[in-house]
Amino acid sequence: MGLEFLARVRRTALWVGLVAALVTATYAAPLLALGVALGAAWSLANLALLERLIVAITGAERSSLPSVRRAVQAVAGMLALFAAGGLLLRLLSPAALMAGFFIPYAVLVLKAAALLLLPSALWKRLTQDARLASLVVALLFGAAWFAVAPLRNASIAAPGHAAAAESAQATAGPAAPGAPAGEAHEAGHEKSEGPQKFPNLITVLHRAFPNAGWSRFLEHYEVILFALLVAFLIGLVARLATRNPQLVPSGLQNAVETLVEQLNDFITGILGERHAPRFVPFLGTLFLYIWAMNLFGLIPFMDSPTSNLNVTVALALTVFVYAQYVGLRGLGLVGYLDHLMGSPRNLTGWLLVPLMLPIHVLGELAKPISLSCRLFGNIFGEDMLLVAFVSLGITTLSFAHLPFGLPLQVPFLVLALLTSTLQALVFTVLSTIYILLMLPHHDHEPGHEAEEELLEHSPI
Amino acid sequence: MVDPPRKDRNSTLRSAGLLLAVPTLLIVSPLLGAFLGNLLDRRFGSGHWCAGIGLALGFAAAGRETYQLVRRAQQEEEKDRRP
Repeated sequence: MGLEFLARVRRTALWVGLVAALVTATYAAPLLALGVALGAAWSLANLALLERLIVAITGAERSSLPSVRRAVQAVAGMLALFAAGGLLLRLLSPAALMAGFFIPYAVLVLKAAALLLLPSALWKRLTQDARLASLVVALLFGAAWFAVAPLRNASIAAPGHAAAAESAQATAGPAAPGAPAGEAHEAGHEKSEGPQKFPNLITVLHRAFPNAGWSRFLEHYEVILFALLVAFLIGLVARLATRNPQLVPSGLQNAVETLVEQLNDFITGILGERHAPRFVPFLGTLFLYIWAMNLFGLIPFMDSPTSNLNVTVALALTVFVYAQYVGLRGLGLVGYLDHLMGSPRNLTGWLLVPLMLPIHVLGELAKPISLSCRLFGNIFGEDMLLVAFVSLGITTLSFAHLPFGLPLQVPFLVLALLTSTLQALVFTVLSTIYILLMLPHHDHEPGHEAEEELLEHSPI
Repeated sequence: MVDPPRKDRNSTLRSAGLLLAVPTLLIVSPLLGAFLGNLLDRRFGSGHWCAGIGLALGFAAAGRETYQLVRRAQQEEEKDRRP
């Protein structure tokens, strides 16, 4: 894996970029194809230069002359690349350039997902039976076809819609400032909102009693109430499982013990035997809470609190604050600042401080944003996918005027089970890594025995 | 077919989890850098200089975080190979 993995990503992205450019040239316009190809090339060159720079300034021989030369070359190359990027944005379509720019990232995501899927028992079971594999491929094609259909319809409808809006504006004459403009904007906004989520218990109550104070209260605090309900249910399960503990566990106690043991093993595998006991309660609770919240939306008349950005930002901020606290307590204020400055130990290191400090601070700030956006995007997307397929199932049988539709969403419910678990796992793994990176240097790195000793007696 | 032992399975999950984080970090860090730079530009009226510098620093921060995550994933793999 590692750098070799990134090299494989670069090779694949190069081919994908080439094919995407050829397809664009055939079905769209040659200039757009050039934009896609140059966007992909820019992104790949940027990744390669970044890798070169990072290896040069963080490698074991970072103080040596060849490393400094490599770093300077990489920085000069990046500056030239940025200038070229600015020029390209003026000359070519920004949308095509952006499409090309994201190709390497898409390849990276797919390769990482494949890494997870290929060794799994599910994949082995699927690929052993040719008929089952064919069925899955057919289902995937069908899903892709239906998923792309709204986009295709939107792109066909958009010019007409724009023309209609223009003609309506022309008929109405110049809009008066204030209310009419606001109303038009609101109407447009309402139309562009897209599909709604599934109705949950609170939205149903609110629609039944729209003017009641309690229903407005429930609707206003809907997400918080569902999050509290999930926390209460987890607490209840924990209480029931530990109420009458047996030496030979069975039933709920057995299930909960297995889950806790698995989580403990998983987190200990990252943090090591020495640090794990302090952090397993926090990280384990985080996993269980996120997992339960992700799955809660699959229960009829319930909702996933994690499909709301406020909840995921709150979770990510909790991890961020805790990781900084761990860093400050473990390293002390001076050690913490030293860590942020990139631990300079010689003249080159101190000269690089003005560069390393903002890079470290930006990296730290990017962590909670990326954690929250990833979780929110995945769970919200999963909910929307289910809504789209339920709507499709109802539309398919609409000619018969039946009170139900085809259950087309069922395969995606299974997929949602998988992604919900995976996203909770990703959040927990990254939180664990962020905490680990804030601890004094890890067990495998020699020469930090004194810091390790200090940490051993730290009260965190 | 025999399923991989639990230790290997955990390690694969950890590696995949780490690598799945890379794309978001690569996108968020430059955007954050450009956003903060833009705020400084508005505050000091410095054209687009701060946004440009923020963007470049954001790319560097993204690269550094990616390097750390990839190195961590590499360590997971090495841990697996050990007897």
